Amino acid sequence: MPKLLVQAKGLSKRYGRVTALNGLDLEVEEDSVMGLIGPNGAGKTTAIKIILGLLRPDSGEVMVFDEAPWDNPDIRRLVGVVHEKAFFPAHQKALDYLRRVCRIFGVPEDRALEVLESVGLQEAWDRPIRALSAGMLQKFGIAHALIHKPKFVVADEMTANLDPQARSNLLDLVAKLHKEEKVTFLLSSHILPELSKICDSATIISYGKAVVSGNLVELYEKFAARTLRVSTDQPEVLAASIRTLSYVQAVDIDSRGLSVRVNEGDEDKLYGDAPSLAKKVGVKILGIETGSASLDELYRLVVTNAGGKTA
Amino acid sequence: MTEKRKGRAFLEIFASALQEDYRFPILELFAFLYALSSFVLAGFNLMGGAPSEELAVYSLVFSLSGLPLNIFLLLVFKNIAFGLGSDLEKGTVQTIFSYPLKRHAVLTAKLLSAIGVSLLIFFSAQMFALMILASDRILPYMHIVVLAYLANLSYPLLLAFIILFVTLLVRKGGSALVLGIVLSFLINVFSGVAQLAAWMTKSAVPLQILAVFNPAVALQSHYNAFSSIVGPIWEPNLPEVMLYVGAGYALVFFVLILSYDYFGRRLNL
Repeated sequence: MPKLLVQAKGLSKRYGRVTALNGLDLEVEEDSVMGLIGPNGAGKTTAIKIILGLLRPDSGEVMVFDEAPWDNPDIRRLVGVVHEKAFFPAHQKALDYLRRVCRIFGVPEDRALEVLESVGLQEAWDRPIRALSAGMLQKFGIAHALIHKPKFVVADEMTANLDPQARSNLLDLVAKLHKEEKVTFLLSSHILPELSKICDSATIISYGKAVVSGNLVELYEKFAARTLRVSTDQPEVLAASIRTLSYVQAVDIDSRGLSVRVNEGDEDKLYGDAPSLAKKVGVKILGIETGSASLDELYRLVVTNAGGKTA
Repeated sequence: MTEKRKGRAFLEIFASALQEDYRFPILELFAFLYALSSFVLAGFNLMGGAPSEELAVYSLVFSLSGLPLNIFLLLVFKNIAFGLGSDLEKGTVQTIFSYPLKRHAVLTAKLLSAIGVSLLIFFSAQMFALMILASDRILPYMHIVVLAYLANLSYPLLLAFIILFVTLLVRKGGSALVLGIVLSFLINVFSGVAQLAAWMTKSAVPLQILAVFNPAVALQSHYNAFSSIVGPIWEPNLPEVMLYVGAGYALVFFVLILSYDYFGRRLNL
């Protein structure tokens, strides 16, 4: 059994009337790259803050490296953090501040320039932090998170302010750290194609609870087998008819047609029913095939139709 | 858990707070103001006419520390409300909480910079002024000097820690500063009302209540008995004054502990 770096059970958190988390279960295995995926307001940032010990849950419990994260300096030595918005003392120079962070963690000060170089920010070493652009600040935040060579990096929207080249470089850096230094990552992002390139597992959360969680290959197999792609000239009309079928769990419309998720064992039924429904409502079916599940497709199928239910 | 590397998180967070709180020319300006107000406003006129040497020493300390204490408050309000307040508002505290240091140690490092350094400059300026201006008269009465400073500092420290607690609650530098100024004003009004009530009712109770918040009132009444037309209203003796100083600091520490408890156990970011 792989070791679990994060074990969260039944996490709930409310902000006044708003329920941010509603019994979230989350596990992050050692030596994995897990994507934490969900729509705006699904509870990703709240979950990350609880894992980092910045926020106490109303109920439920979380263990990171087998310890409670709240006010726990030992865990902070092992965890690198990239916040959605980076916050640093604005008047201090980039390299000076990172050298200070080296001294805080007790690592050689040379490491400061090393991490700046690794994120492509070496040219800005003498700039005050307030003079960094949004993208540079994001890179600086990533350099800051890596300074003490953490075993586990938690990143909330790590690539949000970066240009495509910088995103690509960063993904390469994540892959390299994971492969060469066995760093475990928990990455929250909306940019699913990027996540699918580097993640080996994912947890999709919706309405504050985990809807789907697990190894990506297994999830793809599970959902691909139960997902069919239907190409049609009038997706909206056909989708409405297909949704009436009792064995259909979810129908998602995209630019290429429909993704239809069916109950286990009912995969073949749609091949017979879809053409007759199409004929009935007067639309053309251009093709039906077993869906090639992607993270993007999985996300849309699960989140669009979950409404808080688990799949 | 892996082997712990030795860092110096506390010192570095303290140094970082110093760098943010006292960017040029804040430190230089306030040090100048402390020195200027300590030397220029020393009340030698009060010393000359004092009936006793002890009263003369108290009068000197009282006159010497009046304006510098207001400057101290100004600097501390700025450091706490704008320094710690903006750290909370902008989220810099989130970054600091990613370092291997307990929350109470983070707050201590921040307060050492915000209040400790200001106190150090205040006392340095005051001691230099006292020693240069009247060391021969001060030295035999050091216990009075210490008591006077303890009494005079209690109220500004209480205000500072109330501002700290309010800053932690509202997490907005500007709002905390405004609330602090309003609170100071209200306490000053309350102080005036208490003195007026004592004078009109010839009762010492309003003054005694006031002295719990501000023990300087008790010391002041000890040396210059608070009186109305018909005679003295309150003349606490020195042990009583010490009790009020003790009560004042109990209040100061209560608010400080409240702040630590909130920062350490309840501050959700």
